[in-house]
Amino acid sequence: MAYQIPSDIRNGLKVEMEGYPWEIVYFQFVKPGKGTAFTRMKFKNLINGRVNEGNYRTGETLEPADIETLEMQYLYNDGENFLFMNQESFEQIPVSQAAMGESKNFLVDEMMCRVIVYKGTPVSVELPTFVELQITYTEPGVRGNTAQGTNKQAILSTGASVGVPLFIDQGEWIRIDTRTGEYVERVKK
Amino acid sequence: MNALSPEGLRQRARVLAAVRAWFADHGYLEVQTPVLVPSPAMEPHLYALPCEDGFLRTSPEFALKRVVSAGLPRVYELGPCFRGRESGLWHGREFAMLEWYRVGAGLDDLMDEVEGIVASAAAALGRTETFSWRRTQVRTLFSEAGIDLATATVSELSSRDSTWDDAFFRRWLDRIEPTLTDPVFVSDWPASQAALAQVRTDGDWPVAQRFEAYLGGVELANAFLELNQREAQELRIAEAAATRTSIGETPHPVDAAFVEAVGRLPTTAGIALGIDRLVAVLCGWPGIEPGRIPVF
Repeated sequence: MAYQIPSDIRNGLKVEMEGYPWEIVYFQFVKPGKGTAFTRMKFKNLINGRVNEGNYRTGETLEPADIETLEMQYLYNDGENFLFMNQESFEQIPVSQAAMGESKNFLVDEMMCRVIVYKGTPVSVELPTFVELQITYTEPGVRGNTAQGTNKQAILSTGASVGVPLFIDQGEWIRIDTRTGEYVERVKK
Repeated sequence: MNALSPEGLRQRARVLAAVRAWFADHGYLEVQTPVLVPSPAMEPHLYALPCEDGFLRTSPEFALKRVVSAGLPRVYELGPCFRGRESGLWHGREFAMLEWYRVGAGLDDLMDEVEGIVASAAAALGRTETFSWRRTQVRTLFSEAGIDLATATVSELSSRDSTWDDAFFRRWLDRIEPTLTDPVFVSDWPASQAALAQVRTDGDWPVAQRFEAYLGGVELANAFLELNQREAQELRIAEAAATRTSIGETPHPVDAAFVEAVGRLPTTAGIALGIDRLVAVLCGWPGIEPGRIPVF
């Protein structure tokens, strides 16, 4: 069933346009003084993250995207693909490097993730919003310097690099916001 | 439901007081016309709320024109209007409209008045900057975007619409309106969008003698050089009724007293301004909600 504008429109709706799946991330009623009503929408491309916007007239329709979101656990990287396991069916599916994208920077074994599957193929992976990772290398910490700015680089156990404050030491654990890829706080382990 | 904002209501009251003072200083009479009316509108894309044997008005336009025709040359009304199926950051099905009419005035005079009212309202809110208004035309804005409206076809304006007006408005919303961030008056609209305005046909492109005022990127007001010929008015009503029928809606009933009054209307310019929007834009709010009392 096609989605009717404006009655079916809500944030989070997944629609098919120009050969891509998109998620509605913003919508707003707009009506020029003497014209018909439109709904202004912003769409996030679920494959490449690009954001698009457009105005849709009342009475137009949008096609639902053939997309599902699966809660899956990360198992391991076989050198080519990232393998995830469906927690209900115990089926294992491979996710390509391209589909993992930036998410691989903060991925650790056994992490529960949301795998976005479009027309039967995994196209992206959403990590938990916050993840805790250990620092494998950084310049020695500066004691007494409690400035919160991220003033030096640290290498994480996943191999990714993030900015951290000067007081952080090698071997410590930190919390990362996976939406921005930025340091949040030190974690005591 | 959003929380009621006492500070928002204080700001709103300052604007209302400033607006009423401005009209008193400029020789306008405040009138209160009926909210419950036999005919809610002429324009096909308005959805009125039925109420017993009538409707809640979508604007005070019909009644105010009768007031002007009866011999009051400068009148204004500030009160609630209702439009069904309109709800959003900048729309409410109930909203406050400021509408005024001035016999003998032209559209430039009304632009001057909007500038004065906005300046008074801003001053009442303690804002000290001066607003620099641009005065331009719809066709100029489109030509800046590479389109000549006088010759543009439906498919040149939009690939997804079947009527010229729908294509025009999609293009307007997609490409033109988002650029109107500075205060601007946009005049000379396509003749098909004249509504109750006179049409001028002496140029190379027939245009409605209308303007819209944009403040802070928001459509704030709509002004007409008012149609004042009875036969032309009856034709417009018939065209609007046909459009209503074509989109599957019942035509609005005809207000015979209004039609009769149009034939006696002197040369008059009139304008409707959204008060909720004026307050919100001047206060820098993200929409009209903080100045309203949430009930639904």
